Amino acid sequence: MSQTIAAQPPGIPDLKNFTAQLDVGQLSSFFPIFQKGVTVPAIVGCTLKSFLCEQMAIPTDYVTERITTIFLDNRPVDDLDRTIIQEGSRVTLSAAMPGLVGATMRRGGFYAALRQGISHASDSGATEGTSGTVRLKLFNLLLAELGPLVLLRGLILERNELDELLHILSKLPDNAPDGVEKIFLSVSFSGVTT
Amino acid sequence: MDKIARIDMGAAGGPKVTVGDLGEYAGLGGRAMTSLVVAAEVHPLAHALGAENKLVISPGMLSGTTGSMTGRLSVGCKSPLTGTIKESNAGGQAAQVLARLGYAAVILEGKPVGDDLYKIVINKDGIKVIVDNSLKMMDNYLLVAKLRQEFGDKVAYMTIGSAGERKLLAASIACTDPELRPTRHCGRGGVGAVMGAKRVKAIILDDAGMKMRPAKDLDKFRDANRLFVEGLRKHPVTGEGLPAYGTNVLTNVLNEAGGYPTNNFKSGQFAGSSKISGEAQAELEIKRGGSATHGCHRGCVIQCSGIYNDKDGKYLTKQPEYETVWSHGGHCGIDDLDTIAQLDRIDDNIGVDTIEMGVTIGIAMDAGLIEFGDKAGAIRLMEEVQKGTPLGRVLGSGAGITGKVFGVERVPVVKNQALPAYDPRAVQGIGVTYATTTQGADHTAGYAIATNILKVGGDVDPLKTEGQIELSRNLQIATAAIDSTGMCLFIAFAILDQPETFQALLDMLGSFYGITMTGDDVVALGKKVLSAERDFNTRAGFTKHDDRLPRFFYNEPIAPHNQTFLMKDEELDEVFNW
Repeated sequence: MSQTIAAQPPGIPDLKNFTAQLDVGQLSSFFPIFQKGVTVPAIVGCTLKSFLCEQMAIPTDYVTERITTIFLDNRPVDDLDRTIIQEGSRVTLSAAMPGLVGATMRRGGFYAALRQGISHASDSGATEGTSGTVRLKLFNLLLAELGPLVLLRGLILERNELDELLHILSKLPDNAPDGVEKIFLSVSFSGVTT
Repeated sequence: MDKIARIDMGAAGGPKVTVGDLGEYAGLGGRAMTSLVVAAEVHPLAHALGAENKLVISPGMLSGTTGSMTGRLSVGCKSPLTGTIKESNAGGQAAQVLARLGYAAVILEGKPVGDDLYKIVINKDGIKVIVDNSLKMMDNYLLVAKLRQEFGDKVAYMTIGSAGERKLLAASIACTDPELRPTRHCGRGGVGAVMGAKRVKAIILDDAGMKMRPAKDLDKFRDANRLFVEGLRKHPVTGEGLPAYGTNVLTNVLNEAGGYPTNNFKSGQFAGSSKISGEAQAELEIKRGGSATHGCHRGCVIQCSGIYNDKDGKYLTKQPEYETVWSHGGHCGIDDLDTIAQLDRIDDNIGVDTIEMGVTIGIAMDAGLIEFGDKAGAIRLMEEVQKGTPLGRVLGSGAGITGKVFGVERVPVVKNQALPAYDPRAVQGIGVTYATTTQGADHTAGYAIATNILKVGGDVDPLKTEGQIELSRNLQIATAAIDSTGMCLFIAFAILDQPETFQALLDMLGSFYGITMTGDDVVALGKKVLSAERDFNTRAGFTKHDDRLPRFFYNEPIAPHNQTFLMKDEELDEVFNW
């Protein structure tokens, strides 16, 4: 996977920066919060494809072939070029799923008609992007594959999310933040190439 | 597989075994065999627990061969739960062993007079039906342990627990896995109650001295199987997702789609979903020394199951599947994997369908017997079923009856069978299959997602509204065909995306039987099976008015999409119009 550029912390007052280097064995400690969703800085008003391929620096062929199921605000997405992310949008990424319903949820899949009532309707007209945040969820095979990239780029954690994370991490970083309501966290892992 | 055994449990002087040739059933296996026998030989108005009903046990067309994924066993009868024809299938070792013994079907007929309980031993020397009242009211784990003392570990067991003996409508038939655990169940429709009504507690299948079934064209079969396995291994679902997380990998995705029925279908999302997801389950299993990757029968390369250990690292149950985690989890507001695993263990032990029982407990919660999310209460209710108390008998009779007894309006059943784990208001096309299937609400009735490759019904534009009806029809046809081969339905993912893998499957069938198989042949088989099933149901009194979802799906919008089920009755009536 190509190198990811760490996002600039968004202009949120009193947002503390925190950087950590962890053992790769601790990557799975982040999986529970990835499944619930994490807040990441983003340029909003752009297409979902732009968000994934340009901002997140996920290779296009990986997005096309590996991330076969995508939701925007609970709605399965079929056309990345005609889906616009907005401030606070919730973007969920999954690899191919089993079952008829798994196939039904696939992006542009043969069985998309079976869930047409909840599918994301195509948007028109990306705008000039503005700084904001997006709620990002990762599921299944993508947890380990995209997790390091998302963490290196950085995410914004509320106090309760940070507490949950620190509770799970088996080895606390020496300079773990304390007494803050919200932080911008960037994590790299030894031995992991993003 | 050149013979059929008929065991008349009600014969004068005791059970009588007759072994004959295949006759008009030649070339059939699995669901094709069970459904065509039941449709032809069982009076459609027969009482499902009476002497007129038959329990047909049939391995798939490729079971007992060296072919991969061929270990599904079909059990068919008139269902005591739904009143319709029923085919319920399971993995485990039974299909492979029964096929190697040469039986295309074993048919239990009649009903004994008296209270004796029987075990049936099938081996290379024939079939013996033996009275064994020492097995009475034993549950599956203890029962198999006792049978192993007598018959050893190189056999396969099919058993019923106390639920089957009590003829509860949710009763299942357990098939042992490679480790001889009774964890693979023909779960749906109360087939265990039919076996109990015939007073058969256990069937012991011993293939010692038998060989793998040989293909007509050995080289071509071997090559086709190799290509088939390669196709399964390289596909991201069958080669990665299922082995890593099992079917429960769907929890997060369905919850995100707003199609995860929660608290008895009151919401499409469950706040605790990430705690019981396949991802969380796999991590916990590995951490406790179990496994997130395990096959239910030898010859499985997908390995979608696992081993779930308790907090002390001791085996508790097999990896609960998505449907089980949902029915005992989100449906009941329970977000604790250990509780769900305990409930799964109890289900397997007493021998009941995990979907039916989980849905039933959710209805009991809706009725106010216990609160949603009450973990100890859910286990207590299952213990009532195990003890056979009056309350337990009501619960063990399934969701429909429990809803009636306790005056619950929101009862998610079709033809009295509980809905599985996908809300039809969010995924409308699934609702079409739930409503119209011959089996009662059943997610696997339209599961074989290979219709585009099979060209079932020609090319369908899936983006048109009417496509939902056609897709459901085509899915049900394709599923009926694959259920007849003995192949695990999960092969459909690789077939969907990889035409060469589908061709390998056709080549396996063709080279084994020495015929040329085409997609059209598969479709014709599927239609033949469905037509027979529909005809049986019609003669049993079912009409188009039974092909409907409960009214609350039409009247109660579900969050987050605030949508009701929108398919019109006239559209549903077109599903079987081919």
